[in-house]
Amino acid sequence: MNFFHSYKRQILYIVIVILAVSALVTAGRKRKATVLDNTLGFVITPAQNIVSTVSSWFGARISSIHDDTDLKSENAELKAQVEILKSENKRLSMYEEENKKLSGLLNIAQKYPDYDTTGTDIIGKDPGNWYLTFTVDKGTKDAIAANMVLTTAEGLVGRVTESGYIYSKAQSILDSRSSVSAMSLRTGDLGVVKGDYTLMNDGLCKMEYIDSDSEIMKGDEIVTSQLSDIYPPGITIGYVKEIVRDDNGLTKYAVIQPAVDFKHLSTLLIITKNFQKDEQQK
Amino acid sequence: MRRFLITMLILIINIILQSTLFNLIRIHSIIPNTALVVVVSMALLRGSPEGCLTGLGAGLLHDIFFGSSLGYYAVFGMVLGYLAGKFNHGFYKENYLLPVMLCFFSTVIYESMIFLTGPFFYGYLNYPYFFINLILPEAVYTAVLAIAIYRILFSVNEHIEKKEKYKRKLFSIKK
Repeated sequence: MNFFHSYKRQILYIVIVILAVSALVTAGRKRKATVLDNTLGFVITPAQNIVSTVSSWFGARISSIHDDTDLKSENAELKAQVEILKSENKRLSMYEEENKKLSGLLNIAQKYPDYDTTGTDIIGKDPGNWYLTFTVDKGTKDAIAANMVLTTAEGLVGRVTESGYIYSKAQSILDSRSSVSAMSLRTGDLGVVKGDYTLMNDGLCKMEYIDSDSEIMKGDEIVTSQLSDIYPPGITIGYVKEIVRDDNGLTKYAVIQPAVDFKHLSTLLIITKNFQKDEQQK
Repeated sequence: MRRFLITMLILIINIILQSTLFNLIRIHSIIPNTALVVVVSMALLRGSPEGCLTGLGAGLLHDIFFGSSLGYYAVFGMVLGYLAGKFNHGFYKENYLLPVMLCFFSTVIYESMIFLTGPFFYGYLNYPYFFINLILPEAVYTAVLAIAIYRILFSVNEHIEKKEKYKRKLFSIKK
């Protein structure tokens, strides 16, 4: 004990240096969780699960009281919409059959195949103000690995950055460190969808590096492109909300309204096929 | 040992609440940094060494569950715990002004350090924007919550100190 007291300051410096080095070495590495991470995960993840379930239950109750007045009109509206969608669905399934037959004849693979997915729940969100990361309740136990892609039925949410035994860390596409290779579905123009702090809190993101000659417009659907080695192609990211030309006039960027409502996320789908791994194995 | 376990329990409860329940009390998507309040309070009540350890624990927990590298938040937590511990001597522990002020300034320092070392520094370089829109509101919010959290930790500390005093007496009698 005497030793610790007489060398207090030196010990502090050494620990700080060790931590700083470890921070630099482990920065940005897609790693599997260590034993320490997993042990803590066993303690904290179940508790997070319970608290977030309870709080989201109360949140749902509160918002249902809010929304009660609009329910009737909304119900009528939705019923009408269901009818329209039903007929459209019938028409589209006919197209799908036709498409399958024709592509079978032509002997080409489906461009947008069905991906295997597992459902998962968000159990915790980053308690800081800078980034948008969260933990989900599935891990290596359910064959989840880093760089798997998170979606909802509406569109892209993000990707897994690290997985422990019963939990995984994930990064949303609104996070300022995230970048997704993307293209406009209508014109085929390529770009990169990036998170941006100034837009993040409004639930928006940015599509950069768009060619200045491209005919991308407000309302265009943006999907993931074939160029990405993490994200499979053809997943909806969102819709163009606004086009802004850079000061130099050579490039422009688009403000994207994601298809997913990031404020009310709870259940997600993980595409359980690691695209990056496949590339490397080839 | 008892103190160590209780501090660890407080930190674990804190990160569970921070990542779940406190997301509901975001104001304009700003969330208060309660982990920092725990670190500063512990440092003020117990001095630099324990402030350092608490900061290290809080930082490591954040690193493990939400960080992208191990040790990043831990360094900041340690440094702030150490600095806040310097005010341990010569202040009335019943006085709330110093903890609240310290929580405000340590939030400003902490978030500024994250800005200077994070990707924002390379991408934006406009500190004033982040100061007004993120750091200042967070610091104010944190300082307000610090009143309640410091009160809780103060009584926890008092409770432990009483127990320790009792134990010490017990030993001295045996001698």
